[in-house]
Amino acid sequence: MENILRVDESHSATAAMVSLKGRMDASSSPAAETVLSRLIESGERRIVVDMSDLDYISSAGLRVLLSSLKRLRDDDGRLLLAGLKPQIQNVFEIAGFQRIFTIYSTTEEAVSSFSAPK
Amino acid sequence: MLPSLLPTFIVLFQMMCVIVVFAYLITRTRYFSEVADGQFSWKNQLFLIVLFGILSIYGSESGISVLGAQINVRDLGPMVAGLVAGPLVGLISGLIGASYRITMGGFTMVPCSLATILAGLLAGIVWLLAGRKFPGIIVAVSFAVIIEGMHMGLVLLLSRPLSQAVEVVSDVAVPMIAANAAGMFIFSFIISNLEKERETQGERDRYHKELERKNAELQIARDIQTSFLPEKIPVIPRYMLAACSIPAREVGGDFYDIITFPAKKIGLIIADVSDKGVPAALFMALSRTVVRANAEWHNAARDAIQGANATISADSRSGMFVTLFFAILDQESRRLTYVNAGHNPPLLFRPGFDPIPLPATGIALGALADADYEERSVDLYPGDVLLFYTDGVTEAIDSRYSQFGEERLAELVRQNINLPPDDIIEEINRAVSAHSGETAQFDDMTLMILKVEG
Repeated sequence: MENILRVDESHSATAAMVSLKGRMDASSSPAAETVLSRLIESGERRIVVDMSDLDYISSAGLRVLLSSLKRLRDDDGRLLLAGLKPQIQNVFEIAGFQRIFTIYSTTEEAVSSFSAPK
Repeated sequence: MLPSLLPTFIVLFQMMCVIVVFAYLITRTRYFSEVADGQFSWKNQLFLIVLFGILSIYGSESGISVLGAQINVRDLGPMVAGLVAGPLVGLISGLIGASYRITMGGFTMVPCSLATILAGLLAGIVWLLAGRKFPGIIVAVSFAVIIEGMHMGLVLLLSRPLSQAVEVVSDVAVPMIAANAAGMFIFSFIISNLEKERETQGERDRYHKELERKNAELQIARDIQTSFLPEKIPVIPRYMLAACSIPAREVGGDFYDIITFPAKKIGLIIADVSDKGVPAALFMALSRTVVRANAEWHNAARDAIQGANATISADSRSGMFVTLFFAILDQESRRLTYVNAGHNPPLLFRPGFDPIPLPATGIALGALADADYEERSVDLYPGDVLLFYTDGVTEAIDSRYSQFGEERLAELVRQNINLPPDDIIEEINRAVSAHSGETAQFDDMTLMILKVEG
């Protein structure tokens, strides 16, 4: 059951990127939460979550993303999601989360939205 | 040469055997344990003084005479006494050993007696320097070697004639140092073994206690949580209703609820909190209470959920949320009015039709404080079966992460549509367990089935 979720992070001049690969369920989501919390605590205010390799997300995974979104919002930061597979999109739609998250089809679009004038 | 040395070896061997037995017995006493724990009393100190004094006397008595001087382990008792119980115990047991040595006389009487007293006292000082505890095997054995070296030095310094003192020392120095070091090694080894044993035992005890406490707490949490589920399913004339909730851990985040309203109306709730374990269970308790209170207060399902969401959002700082389906069934008109707050759409099975999903009409509770919810209605007919479930059922995985799936669940209900609801639930549970086998599940599973009779 090891490594069912791989969490990678990278940094660019515009934003921090967190890539999620695999399955985000109650057992694996804490790994993503650790990385996101560390980024937020270290002062990162622009985070893009690359979900193009994420195959499954449970409500525990949604909770991790939601808590990061709320924490960033409280500090005038932004969390953007990118590259959701159809089944992931579907989970977001059922829970109604497409309304509170800003979702882009690719990470490039998400990153460039930071540099574009608001 | 050999035959003459053999008795010496036998005596030395006997000596070591006595020391082993003595060390074993003394370290197993309550008094020794108390002192090792740093709990000193006059009783346990007296006990150690007497026993190590006796060991010192035995050390003199068991000695082997070489040219009138003895190879002996008289210093061993006071040294151990000092190293385990401090200067006072070391000194007094040294005095006991020294007094006995004085009665034996001889030209090395003064330095030998003095060495025994100093052995006890200095051992006590080492104990103090080690932080009032036994200093460990290496220090103890090195200490024994140094003390015996000092013992030899005192003989050379104080015994006269000097030529005879030199002769004795050159004969006995090496065997004396070796015998005392060996004796000290035996003691140290047994003492440090005992210390390790006690340490692991202490850890194990602590761990056990902690585990027991946690289990007790979880059991209480589970009992409390179970008490939040309806004790029994109410009998509704011309309907059949069954429900079941299986937490993945001791406590879970799923729940269902059935509320009896006036005017032959029944409230049906199924919900799934976005996490597992105790945090989810607490959030479940909060949500369940808030939703129930709002449902009893407001007439419209939509108002109840909107009100509940405002309260739950105010309390959700960790990003926790709950997907919840709330329906009010009018028993007379068979009209089902519902609000679906981000929950997996329940499925309505109507003979001759594909399953009809009752889709989400708003966002999960707790995610967005000022969210709007829509209310929808569906008319039920005799023969209709309504399946409410949480994603723990459809997302139950086997060893290759393959999910049980919605299609399989729907097919299973269709096949068993003529059974009473509790039998359908049983069939589903059986099929899901067969699918997941030994694979540990991370999500709670909750099912509720309503059947409309003729």
